[in-house]
Amino acid sequence: MRRVAILVLLYVGMQLIIPLEAGTSAGGPQTLLVFGFLVLAAYTVGELATLVTLPKITGYLFAGIVFGPSLLGIVTPQAVRELAPVNELAIALIAFLAGAELKWGELKAHGKAILGILGTELVFSFVLIVGALIALHQWVPFLQGTSMTGVLALAALFGAVAIVHSPSVMIAILTETRARGPVARTTLGVVLVADVVVVILFSAALALTRAIVPAHGTAGGLSAGVLAWEIGGSVIVGAILGGGIALYLRFVQRELLMFAIVVTFFGAAIAQLMHVETLLTLVVAGFITENATAGTGRALLEAMERSAAPVFVVFFALAGASIALGEVASIWPIALAIVAVRGFAIWSGATLGAKWSRASEPEQRYTWMGLVSQAGVAIGLVIVMADAYPSRGSQMRLLLLSVIAINQIIGPVLSRYALVRSGEAVESRGSAAEAAESRG
Amino acid sequence: MSPALILVLAVALAYLAARVAFDWLARHFLFVSGAEYLLLGILLGPQVSGVLSANTVQGFAPIVTMALGWIGTIVGMQFHLPVLVRIQGEAYKLAFLEALGTLAVVAGVELVVASNLFGMTYAEAAVPAIALGAIAAVSAPAGIEVVARRLGERGTVVRQLQVTTAIDALVGITALGLLFCIHHPEGTATWRPITATEWAVITIAIGVVGGALFHLFLGNESDPDRIFISLAGAVVLASGAAAYLHLSPLLTSMVVGAMLVNTSRNREQIARTLASAERPFYFALLIFAGATWAPSPRVWWIIPVLLFVVARALGKIGTGRLGARAMGVLPVLGPSWGRALLGQGGLALALALNYHQFEQTLLPQIVFTSAIVSILLTDFASAHIVASVVTPLARRVRRQKAESREQKAESREQEAESGEREAGSGVGRVGEGRVGEGE
Repeated sequence: MRRVAILVLLYVGMQLIIPLEAGTSAGGPQTLLVFGFLVLAAYTVGELATLVTLPKITGYLFAGIVFGPSLLGIVTPQAVRELAPVNELAIALIAFLAGAELKWGELKAHGKAILGILGTELVFSFVLIVGALIALHQWVPFLQGTSMTGVLALAALFGAVAIVHSPSVMIAILTETRARGPVARTTLGVVLVADVVVVILFSAALALTRAIVPAHGTAGGLSAGVLAWEIGGSVIVGAILGGGIALYLRFVQRELLMFAIVVTFFGAAIAQLMHVETLLTLVVAGFITENATAGTGRALLEAMERSAAPVFVVFFALAGASIALGEVASIWPIALAIVAVRGFAIWSGATLGAKWSRASEPEQRYTWMGLVSQAGVAIGLVIVMADAYPSRGSQMRLLLLSVIAINQIIGPVLSRYALVRSGEAVESRGSAAEAAESRG
Repeated sequence: MSPALILVLAVALAYLAARVAFDWLARHFLFVSGAEYLLLGILLGPQVSGVLSANTVQGFAPIVTMALGWIGTIVGMQFHLPVLVRIQGEAYKLAFLEALGTLAVVAGVELVVASNLFGMTYAEAAVPAIALGAIAAVSAPAGIEVVARRLGERGTVVRQLQVTTAIDALVGITALGLLFCIHHPEGTATWRPITATEWAVITIAIGVVGGALFHLFLGNESDPDRIFISLAGAVVLASGAAAYLHLSPLLTSMVVGAMLVNTSRNREQIARTLASAERPFYFALLIFAGATWAPSPRVWWIIPVLLFVVARALGKIGTGRLGARAMGVLPVLGPSWGRALLGQGGLALALALNYHQFEQTLLPQIVFTSAIVSILLTDFASAHIVASVVTPLARRVRRQKAESREQKAESREQEAESGEREAGSGVGRVGEGRVGEGE
């Protein structure tokens, strides 16, 4: 009831304020008004989503759709454009935090199972999604009127984004269920390592696609050297950045909130300046920070998470606001088809990979369920892709956001189910102990 | 190199310099200032190096508004009623006299100068004049705090200075906020023009709704992350709404802050959360203020600027002295206690920036330049000025205390001597009694 009151108050307040505008405002004051509105409204909708066991992120996206241009129109297309810097900041934060979740010790301990599942699942997903798009290319808007080579390149780019998982959702579900065990460990490992692999794959796919299908107003053609620099350079720049952060944490360790904001801006700006991939640079920087600071980086990551919270809320809400519902209605059959193909590929790939790497029985049965969710990194890649392809990119973004939205709804439910069924969630451990006790 | 990267590098270097050098200077030489960031902003801005173009500076306007909102909330958090009622009413009377007196002196001088020098009508000239008066009223609390810490002194003078800086902020922010309500661009969206009183009500209402939203949003929780997001949402929404309607984000956010401190059980946590992000916002504000600065195209711009500095000093010292005399506290505070209020600080800059953001025609550069000149002239020395006022008074108070202690000691000794004489007989009596009992 309280949350509904917040939404009503916010909506009525905005309806009263917006018509009062004198018509002479300069410098985008509406941007800040919309930002503040989205922080409170989307967060509240996110909390309402948790009441029906959906993740908060689904609520943020939903809030964006409801308050966006397609429905209530409080978030105007102009406001979405003006808030574009929020997207850049959020992408950088997501990448850094995702990299920081990769712990070297855990990677070494479960390396075989993780790599086995990851390899097969990613290959299966990528190949099947690209194959499905090629087969359906006459009905896919952004592939229409393109040569077969172009279809292949654009489908590969789309596939590179569609195979992404969601570390943030997986971490949130693990925190919620307090699950401990092989399924939880392996799923988290696969999701995190897949992030790095996918970012590299995406960088390569984007570079190749730009070479084959240049966007309007940009020059085509790309040498292998440039591609190698985009990926290798990201690792070098990210490592230097991570090393610098580690030194700061070792010798200074003050004003971490401010330092976190500066690091994020600086990382994104230096990546653009050096012509390397922003996401990969910050993933590497986050990985180095976490693993080179022996625990002292935790304070920085907490400061970063705190400053990121409002940014993430607005980021996801804006992603929702940019979904044109009218256009979604025209592509929902294709979106559903891609979701089905992706789900099948993840199930078959992860199960086969687990068998080949001789993972335990629960890992073979349940790991795939934790790989269905998509969220921050996926949306981040969608926005990078849409920026690279201003006209086709909007159609690709629409389809991908539809796919991500569906996976957002079913993914967390599946993840939770897997942890409960495998007996690793605290609640299932409790009920198993009770059952044993009653048998005994 | 991109402007954003240069800006980040500049801020990082300035920050490191501040941490390494200025902290040391503040501890050893009472050097407290943010003016170095202001200078850095001027150097980076379109008027000097052009590293930050006018468009880039304009693009960062929402961040400036957010910073104004954050600062306004921090100011509002000072007004915790249960604490305020413990302070004597005379302290407030004196503080209001000083603040309103300074505002009136500066606004009066600038009104005459602007109307005569630039050929403006009195109605037109009143707008920048009142804005300058509001800016002149505010004083920097940082120097007072540093001196108080250094002297370990929380006596009458320091307490009066602290009350006065808070009231100065209240008067300055309210005056500018009401000015925006009176001098508001006419809108076409409503069936009749909205009156100044209605704009004032809207300004306050936005603040109240912002505070109410914070409470509704936070519920019964006290998790720091949730407080941060609730606070950020409420402050950004209130300041964004004010800026959107051409009202003062400082005033609406001050209302939010005052509401939160008086109604929330988590006021300490809110204060900590506000303080944790204060420095980044403050630095951003100073740098963008510097980058926003442009010289006035008017030939005689220097006259109102210099008069602002002079009139402000006279206003602070003169009205401070008159007020203290009227309240009968001149012997306690000293004749020049108003001198300790000469430091301008970040709030003055925030007010000037707020005026510059919204007022495009009525001497925006002169108002802004006056604030910058005043800050540069007074900020570096503000702690020294405070020390020059407080230290002799503190010494005098200590001397008086020492003297009164000596007097008390002497009188105690005398009492003790006479007591001993009396007690000697008394003991004898008790002894006698005991003895008598023994018998």
